[in-house]
Amino acid sequence: MTATSSVAPNRTRSRLAAIREAAPHPTRWRHVVGYMLAVYRREWQGSVFSGFIEPLVVLAGLGIGLGVLVGDKAAEITGGVSYVAYIAPALMASSAMNLATSEAAWPILARVAWVRIYHAIVATPLNAADVMVGAIAFIVGKVAFAAAFFAGVLLVTGIATSPTGALGMIAVSVLTAFAFGAPMAAFSVTQKSDQGFAFLFRLIITPLTFFSGTYFPIENLPFAAQVLSWCTPLAHGVALSRALALGTPVTYIWLHVVALLAWGIVGTIVAIYLFRKRMLK
Amino acid sequence: MTDSASTPTALIRARGLTKAFGERTAVAGIDFEVRDGEFFGFLGPNGAGKTTTMRMIAGVSPRTSGTLEIFGKDPDLHGSEIRGQIGVVHQQETLDMELTVRENLLVFGRFFGMDRPSIATRADELLELFQLSDRAKDQVEPLSGGMKRRLSIARSLIANPRILMLDEPTTGLDPQARHLLWDALQRLKRGGTTIVLTTHYMDEAEQLCDRLVVMDQAKIVAEGSPRQLIVEHASREVLELRFPNGTESIDTKVLEGIGDRYERLAERVIVGCENGEAAHARALEHGLDPESWLVRRSSLEDVFLRLTGRSLDE
Repeated sequence: MTATSSVAPNRTRSRLAAIREAAPHPTRWRHVVGYMLAVYRREWQGSVFSGFIEPLVVLAGLGIGLGVLVGDKAAEITGGVSYVAYIAPALMASSAMNLATSEAAWPILARVAWVRIYHAIVATPLNAADVMVGAIAFIVGKVAFAAAFFAGVLLVTGIATSPTGALGMIAVSVLTAFAFGAPMAAFSVTQKSDQGFAFLFRLIITPLTFFSGTYFPIENLPFAAQVLSWCTPLAHGVALSRALALGTPVTYIWLHVVALLAWGIVGTIVAIYLFRKRMLK
Repeated sequence: MTDSASTPTALIRARGLTKAFGERTAVAGIDFEVRDGEFFGFLGPNGAGKTTTMRMIAGVSPRTSGTLEIFGKDPDLHGSEIRGQIGVVHQQETLDMELTVRENLLVFGRFFGMDRPSIATRADELLELFQLSDRAKDQVEPLSGGMKRRLSIARSLIANPRILMLDEPTTGLDPQARHLLWDALQRLKRGGTTIVLTTHYMDEAEQLCDRLVVMDQAKIVAEGSPRQLIVEHASREVLELRFPNGTESIDTKVLEGIGDRYERLAERVIVGCENGEAAHARALEHGLDPESWLVRRSSLEDVFLRLTGRSLDE
């Protein structure tokens, strides 16, 4: 009896210590962010176009070009605002998705499989969970920065009129980046080459922009497609972003927030699990 | 617990350390100790279990069974703390190619929780020590293999680790780069760093290690200083006889009569003996007609051959 009672607390303590070893540390992940910022300082020129300029080009092209085509009919679907103002907040959410997924694809795969620096980082006091949390945090932060720039342009050009709405859009971009970046990271850490990315981007990420209410309301889709659409994060990001920008009431606002958070949190947990499995053999 | 009193300076202690990957056992119940300040080696062919053992020590590979203590602590429960005092150099480079030489060091110091001024001081010290100061601001990619390896080692030393672990540190380097690296490692050892390395190069183990274990097929087959191992497991001299047409046809009785012991390889017969010249004379007397022959002092290579019946490069 005495033996078991003295062993039991020991075993509990061991189990707790083992969990602490595997769980993310409250602050160590920020060094991964610091590392990524050091890298970004070296190569930011390369990502300025995809992150900052491209979304504006798309907005100008589609908003003005398609806006003219849609013309007076726009008011029917947009509820009175111009077509540019209708798609701008949605484009912000979809470019958050684009930037987050591509940032969680090649840069993560490279560090797992090509330059393999993640192998070196998990041999420091940081563990696999710290690396994933830091990598995802950097992606979300980068998207926040790009979103702030985009929102600034919208305010300056008068496409967006409410500063509070602009802040809301930035927050939604951050949530959308989290909802896409984390699951994408989970996918990337399992890959050996980048062939899987081509498949994923062509078949899922790019089409999502068209079926998530970015350019036209989801309600225009067949019912089955609508259901499918709400199962992905982008539809929620678009709905929230647009509602906050235009100041229109949105039903189930918390449901959208919860859906985005759930994708991000579950994605992060899965990413940690899979990354750990790959690193700790 | 009572063990720790007998060898208070052991930094790493493994008992029955085992690692299985499914059906395959990579490390099969090995025992060893690494003492403070020593240069310790794992010698063995590829696939012997050296790297897996290193990964378990470095706290990035949970063991299947057995006990393992580093600084008296279990890496499964105190991995982060242990890793904070170990510098690891991987077999393949793991440097960031987008950062400069110096930035690679700066970034890494942060992972160990060092403050920026001490990292900067330490980084410059290490660049000096590893003769990389004039490349500090350069990208990593164009550096030579030897320079990249030196940078990897410098990076692993950023936080002044108590143990430096090197996995096959000179594989793929040219002889000059190898010798430069050996010198640097010996300087580090003199400075008090405990060094653990794996290698499948006999000369490297012989040159560097105070003590080593010979691993083969997931087990430790011998342990000691290079000198001890040679004395214990090999004779003083070695006579090598070369038969390009094969050695199968040679009579075993004849081979037994030449020296103390022999190993029959595909095209060579290696004879362990006290006096190589005399053994050669005996071989000729017995009617052997080798194409060429040589006599040398015994090396770790012979120890390995003796223990496993195979040569390391086979």
